[in-house]
Amino acid sequence: MNLLIIFISAVLINNFVFYYFLGLCPYLGVSRKIGPSISMGMAVTFVLSLTAVSSWMINHWILIPYGLDYLQIVSFILVIAALVQLVEMFIRKVSPPLYQAMGIYLPLITTNCVIMGLALLAAMKNYNFLETVVFGVSAGIGFTLAIVLMAAIREQLELADVPRPLRGAAIALITAGIISLAFMGFSGIIK
Amino acid sequence: MTMAQKTIGQEFFKGLWPENPVTRQLLGLCSVLAVSNAVINGIAMGLAVTFVLVFSSFLVSLVRKIVPNQVRIASFIVIIASFVTIADRVLAAYFPQLSKAMGPYVPLIVVNCIILGRAEAFASKNKVWPSLIDALGMSGGYVLTLLLMGFIRELLGNRTILGAQILGQWFEPWVVMLLPPGAFIMLGLIIAISNFIEFKIKERRRQP
Amino acid sequence: MNLSTRMIVVLTAVGLLSGSFLAIVGQVTKERIIFNKRHEIEMAALKVVPGARSVKMIYEERDFAVFEDRDEAGHLLGYALQAAGTGFQDKIVLEIGVNAELTTVLSLTIIEQKETPGLGAKITSEEDFLRYWQNRDCTKELTLRKPPVKEPGALASNEVNAITGATISSRAVLNIVNEAIKKARQLKTEGKLSGMN
Repeated sequence: MNLLIIFISAVLINNFVFYYFLGLCPYLGVSRKIGPSISMGMAVTFVLSLTAVSSWMINHWILIPYGLDYLQIVSFILVIAALVQLVEMFIRKVSPPLYQAMGIYLPLITTNCVIMGLALLAAMKNYNFLETVVFGVSAGIGFTLAIVLMAAIREQLELADVPRPLRGAAIALITAGIISLAFMGFSGIIK
Repeated sequence: MTMAQKTIGQEFFKGLWPENPVTRQLLGLCSVLAVSNAVINGIAMGLAVTFVLVFSSFLVSLVRKIVPNQVRIASFIVIIASFVTIADRVLAAYFPQLSKAMGPYVPLIVVNCIILGRAEAFASKNKVWPSLIDALGMSGGYVLTLLLMGFIRELLGNRTILGAQILGQWFEPWVVMLLPPGAFIMLGLIIAISNFIEFKIKERRRQP
Repeated sequence: MNLSTRMIVVLTAVGLLSGSFLAIVGQVTKERIIFNKRHEIEMAALKVVPGARSVKMIYEERDFAVFEDRDEAGHLLGYALQAAGTGFQDKIVLEIGVNAELTTVLSLTIIEQKETPGLGAKITSEEDFLRYWQNRDCTKELTLRKPPVKEPGALASNEVNAITGATISSRAVLNIVNEAIKKARQLKTEGKLSGMN
């Protein structure tokens, strides 16, 4: 039951993009078309699941037992960077078509707030292993939902007559704000 | 392409407006949106980012000739992460209320595109002094945008600035300003206005 | 030296320097950070049982902890229950003070919440919410009074006011408290609360 709450919370109520503001940098760049957005979302979800597992292990097997929690930030970011490198190399070898589909987004993901954000939030909320994994996957699904929604709207916006100052990031942010407002309607569905 | 030598003044000023990291380069948006709901949070974050950016740029520029190309990103990340850790620990130790209010966003400075972006684009290619000035200018631009957002959001959403009530009871607070949608829309508007001003400046330059 | 060696040397140096520097900073700040965390919890535990001078944690599990509150002479005045649960937006962490027999709720304070400002966030307001929680009879479950009444005296002994426009947040707090009291009673029957005077 608790896992279901974590899932719904991460996807809808406390969506990583619309509530935690994470994942905006690549979001503004990539989310113009639905296709690449789905690929980006898949890549992020994959990396998030791996990050959830590894950050939990580092935190609970190394940092906390040896009192090294001041090394949390450094160790998390290094592991994430290494993970993304490995994943990129692995995908390129194992499945070139998959690499074509989503591999190019992987370097962008390293400095993506979503990944580091997940590691930090899961650690702050003190989730156990299973909860962290569910949190990670749910966050990825929430992120994918967010950017696909944005891409769908932005595809339509391309055809609209947007005033010059608003074009690009400004209208994207305002759109995000309106979607965020809509997502607030999901608060309180867990009673 | 020949690079015109910028004066120190220009190096500093460019971060405040023409190359403002938030409104022009669209970097560091996550943090600006998250902590601009109250001016005091904005000040704390601004100081933290300035601290990390200035010291990281300083160190990166200092070691730029020693670090081999292949490991530079890894080294930069470690340097940046160290300063972020210091900022986070100091905040948690001496300002626990603020630290709690900021949540994960101070540690998230480590992935703030501004810091790594400046290290890559500038500090690793320039001498120490210009790198410091560049860092200060970029921080300044960041802080200005953050404070502007903070003032507007706190004033309209809570009637207060820095916790002190400014608007009277006659004003019904726009609570949405304190919530995520308000942040998104406000930042979008600020970027739009900054674009607009930039267009006007360019137009004026074209006319003799 | 050749490139590979230089890469390794630089990386090792950066790692060692940063590691040692962080170790120093970590040590210097460690005491204060631990103190801050404990202080906040202890302050809340002291606050909810009037007259309490010292607190001691006697039970802890995830999202629930029990503190013994004693006066200067060491007499047990009551218990402070720290509990957490899902609110409207995110997790709510609160502290409820109960008497030693677990029959009366002495007072309530909210430690952490992310509810809607101006609405759900009013659960932290003494005037709009918290004062209605003083001296409630919890021998049966506490219930919510909707629409809220102005005078605390107008509430039934086991009723608390809901906040207008923030029913879900109010109910969330109510559920967390009822759950916490239930757990404390369970612990008492299992003999896990010391109950020594």
